[in-house]
Amino acid sequence: MTGGLGVGVLQTAPPIGDWVALAPVLLLALTALALFVIDSVDPDDASGGGALAGTAAVGTLLALVAAIALLIAGIGQGQGGALRLYGGQLIVDGMALFFTVIFTSVATLVIVASYDYLRDRVYQAEYYVLMLLATTGMALMASSGSLATVFISLELASLPSYALVAFLKDNRGSVEAGIKYFLIGALSSAIFAYGISLVYGATGRLGLEAIARSLSGGTQLVGILGVGVLMVAGGFAFKTASVPFHFWAPEAYEGAPAPVSAFLSSASKAAGFVVAFRVFAVAFSPEAVVASVDWTLAFWLLAAVTMTLGNFAAATQDKVKRMLAYSSVGHAGYVLIGLAALNSGQNGLVLGASMIHLLVYGFMNTGAFLFVALAEYWEVGRTFEDYNGLGTQAPIACVAMTVFMFSLAGLPVGGGFMSKYFILVGAVGTGHFLLAALLLINSALSLYYYSRVVRSLWFEEPANSIGIEGYPLGLYAAVVGAAVVTFLLLPGIFLVSDAAISAASALFV
Amino acid sequence: MAATSTAFAFEVAPAIAILPLASFVIALFAGKYLPKGGALAGIAATGGSLLLSLWIALTVAGGATYNEEIYSLVTTPNSFDLHFGLLLDPLSALMLVIVSLVSFLVHLFSLGYMNDEGERGLPRYYAGLGLFSFSMLAFVFADNLFMSFVFFELVGLCSWLLIGHWYREEAPPSAAKKAFLVTRFGDYFFLVGVVAIFATFGTTLFAGPESFPTLAEEALAGAGGGEAGGGAGELSTFGFGPGTWFTVLGFLVLGGVIGKSAQFPLHTWLPDAMEGPTPVSALIHAATMVAAGVYLVARMYGFYALSPTALAVIAFVGGFTALFAASMAVVKRDIKQVLAYSTISQYGYMMLGLGAGGYVAAVFHLMTHAFFKALLFLGAGAVIIAMHHRQDMWEMGGLKEKLPVTYYAFLAGSLALAGIFPFAGFWSKDEILYEALIHGLNDPLLLGGYLMGLTAIVFTGFYTFRMVLLTFHGEPRTHTARNPHSLGWSVKVPLVVLGVLATVIGLINMTPVAEATGLHIEYLHTWLEHGIPGLTVEHYDEVLETVAGYSAASLSPLLPAVLSLALALAGAGLAWALYSGPDPDHHTERLGDIRTLLMNNYYQDEYQVWIAETFGTGVARLSDRFDQSIVDGAVNGISEVSLLSGDRIRRIQTGIVSNYATLLTLGLVVLLLSVGLAGGWFL
Repeated sequence: MTGGLGVGVLQTAPPIGDWVALAPVLLLALTALALFVIDSVDPDDASGGGALAGTAAVGTLLALVAAIALLIAGIGQGQGGALRLYGGQLIVDGMALFFTVIFTSVATLVIVASYDYLRDRVYQAEYYVLMLLATTGMALMASSGSLATVFISLELASLPSYALVAFLKDNRGSVEAGIKYFLIGALSSAIFAYGISLVYGATGRLGLEAIARSLSGGTQLVGILGVGVLMVAGGFAFKTASVPFHFWAPEAYEGAPAPVSAFLSSASKAAGFVVAFRVFAVAFSPEAVVASVDWTLAFWLLAAVTMTLGNFAAATQDKVKRMLAYSSVGHAGYVLIGLAALNSGQNGLVLGASMIHLLVYGFMNTGAFLFVALAEYWEVGRTFEDYNGLGTQAPIACVAMTVFMFSLAGLPVGGGFMSKYFILVGAVGTGHFLLAALLLINSALSLYYYSRVVRSLWFEEPANSIGIEGYPLGLYAAVVGAAVVTFLLLPGIFLVSDAAISAASALFV
Repeated sequence: MAATSTAFAFEVAPAIAILPLASFVIALFAGKYLPKGGALAGIAATGGSLLLSLWIALTVAGGATYNEEIYSLVTTPNSFDLHFGLLLDPLSALMLVIVSLVSFLVHLFSLGYMNDEGERGLPRYYAGLGLFSFSMLAFVFADNLFMSFVFFELVGLCSWLLIGHWYREEAPPSAAKKAFLVTRFGDYFFLVGVVAIFATFGTTLFAGPESFPTLAEEALAGAGGGEAGGGAGELSTFGFGPGTWFTVLGFLVLGGVIGKSAQFPLHTWLPDAMEGPTPVSALIHAATMVAAGVYLVARMYGFYALSPTALAVIAFVGGFTALFAASMAVVKRDIKQVLAYSTISQYGYMMLGLGAGGYVAAVFHLMTHAFFKALLFLGAGAVIIAMHHRQDMWEMGGLKEKLPVTYYAFLAGSLALAGIFPFAGFWSKDEILYEALIHGLNDPLLLGGYLMGLTAIVFTGFYTFRMVLLTFHGEPRTHTARNPHSLGWSVKVPLVVLGVLATVIGLINMTPVAEATGLHIEYLHTWLEHGIPGLTVEHYDEVLETVAGYSAASLSPLLPAVLSLALALAGAGLAWALYSGPDPDHHTERLGDIRTLLMNNYYQDEYQVWIAETFGTGVARLSDRFDQSIVDGAVNGISEVSLLSGDRIRRIQTGIVSNYATLLTLGLVVLLLSVGLAGGWFL
């Protein structure tokens, strides 16, 4: 059963158990079940908040450690190639583990922050359970090896998300956002499922590698396949909040509790991307497909429109949370460059660059939303002006927020600078100069609205004296932790960049 | 055992630079709370750097060298190799010792000059010194030109901070700005040069088989051998012949060197920089900022040796600067001004040496000058303390009896500067002139440099002894000079150490004696002979001969040595004749118009200001107009468009789900149509 971790790397049929390779996913699922048990034993949420949050945080943290350990041990990487489990339905490789690290890191930060945010609220157990189930779904998305598992895991990640957005049941905005998110999500899922069926119709296969094999000789059904491929792309565009499937994002992020917004905009987006990376890089990459169904063109258009629209809309917002929501759309556009630049000769680099950006983004964006959660906790208000003068009241949190903002803008105070640089190098290296130029213009524009937050925090006088009650430990820990990691990823980017690029390159072997 | 201790020495080598960085942080953040305003941290840090540098020097003396990357800034494949690394060979080891020693002594001296005089802003001052030492030390052991550039710029920043230390007064901030801007002008060329070297070679490494001097040499060898597809074919030389292109690259980098090492015509910042505290002047002139330029040429000498044109220009500019600056020093009244012009002049000699193929001679002079110029500046600092911060030599006089330690140390430094046998400057300056002469007999440009350097000796002898005589001899001319301030140990110790070094350090490379007696006593030459292949004297000599076509005339070094000594004595003798009395006259007044010209530094500042105002302002106005109308117009346009369209986008976001569903579906259809059209599905 347990054949030693090191040996597995060298053999095609690794003798480690499935449960070892899937340990992060299993840990997440088991934690969700454990939370059910705790809740049924002690249904009193007000008193049990600590136990629930603690269990959930320990679960995600263990999953994080497991994912990192598997990554370092080289499971599913190197000469042995990816581990194919259950007849290739699930795949464990460098990319799956890398993204599991992102999901579990974000989930841990969000859960730690939620402990304070949810204090004295009801239905806490449900909240943590939903979050863990969504994380489980995301981890499965990263490992999906066929379109069937892709669809199921995508729904497993989505359904809890709808409920989480509507978690504040007495709050009109939260409920409305949840409903809208659900309706758009249902439409997108329908499109996605239809796309899968068309692809199945054209190839007769659902497994990603099987699709690639069947398409390697070309197909007669170009139109059917093409429509199917683009509809599948639409499903991913929904999950990643890319234009024109982004409409839910500003409303859902604004209406949802801020920790949920952090979770959705960071982890859920990354989950959409990992599954898109895998499906398009593995299943739809054969030259015969790309020649007739030029999906890189589709992603080129999506990238250009998404980053421009996201940033332009973000520039005109009055509310910080809504600005962050649109900036999240803009960042999806940056990451889409990785897909648009595929099949131009440097697949490992461009895809790896997008992965690195998602990792850094996982920390800096989560941190930014958690700062908003902190502001909501203090009830200082939602607009830029309401943040005036917070720097004197809560300097540590505001330093952290400054790091997030500048790192999001791509200034060298955090890993965002390096990851954006990688994307730029990839775009230029593959000859996508227009996308590179758009990336630069949009980054310059984004500096404008990100620095508005910083100016409010530090340089503006508050209109009326703001009283801050208390410094919640959990929220502070999460915000500061995210800031420290964001900052450390600037000098330490090389620790992850090699892993990301080699994981991305492995898809194309 | 030996191997492990060698490896360990190299492992800890980065600490040489990091210790002063730590003292910078300590002084900056905790200086207020520490005794002496953070001075002790600086002294400890530079002392530690000195010990480590000596250890590295000993290790290198054992034949070991080190050339490793330690931190990579960018790890992207297919990108430029931007990293920090260490190159420890005889040249850098020697320079590390010089820099850390001078820096240590300057810290020590600052106790007397700054703390005891009750100056304000001490933490800022010591933080600046720490950062300065850090930048220079890191510059010295840089293993690639990119890293050199980064720390070269940091050195420039530190000089700005320190020259403008007394920022409440009028002159220092202006001098600091001038130093920053003038050197920055040169650095533009340097920056372009770094990028061009990257673009040409794909690397900026100094040493090793993949280094750019080696690649350039191979390219030239390939081109010379008639193989069109050989070494040169792999390098992009942008349409030029490789030889021409390498000369262009050499000139670009030389721009930075001329700015930092204060060579004509970018020397104008240096005399103004005297507004900074005197220990800072010592640091800037002896071991850090000004030395950085010459060191850079020595560091990439294998590259310059490939281009006879670049070498000849370096030599000629150096010789001219040596004479030009020496002539201006003759009439100055301010003791620090005399020293400032002497610095420019002495660095001119070093450039002459490098250009004339005298690599060892130039490094030798860099070393001896570091010691005697640090000595002279610290000596001048001691005098200034004693004179209650008066610097006009005509207000001094007769300080010999009152300040004996300072006097004898200063005298040793002056003898070294003037090049009087057997003090340090004699040996090194003589060797430079000898190299210029033997190579110059075949090259008129080098010979011109040699003749100017020779003439400058007279001036040097004259102004040096004019300075000594006016300051220390004769009768005291003011009340302050009669009752000077007493000096503490922290002032005297550095003077004594440097005084001894200025006297004896020249003995390590007595070329004329070696030639005359046949003994192998050219220790510096031997020191620079071993090391990393491609960075040794033998290699440079070989390249100079085969590629640059330098050939040495066979000439005994004795006669030129006697000649330069005679000239130095003549200059000194003239000063003695004019200024040795108890109450000397203002003899330079008799020079009339020439004096006015010299006092005004040949109107260098005026014409540079004129150029700056005429062309600079014109270009600035044009670029301002460009910026205002086109760049700002574009930016404003974009932001207006974005705010406007942002408004539109907000209107799209109606809040009604059915609208979203419609737009989503329409978007998908547009996507399908565009990809379908591109893919030809509808045909």
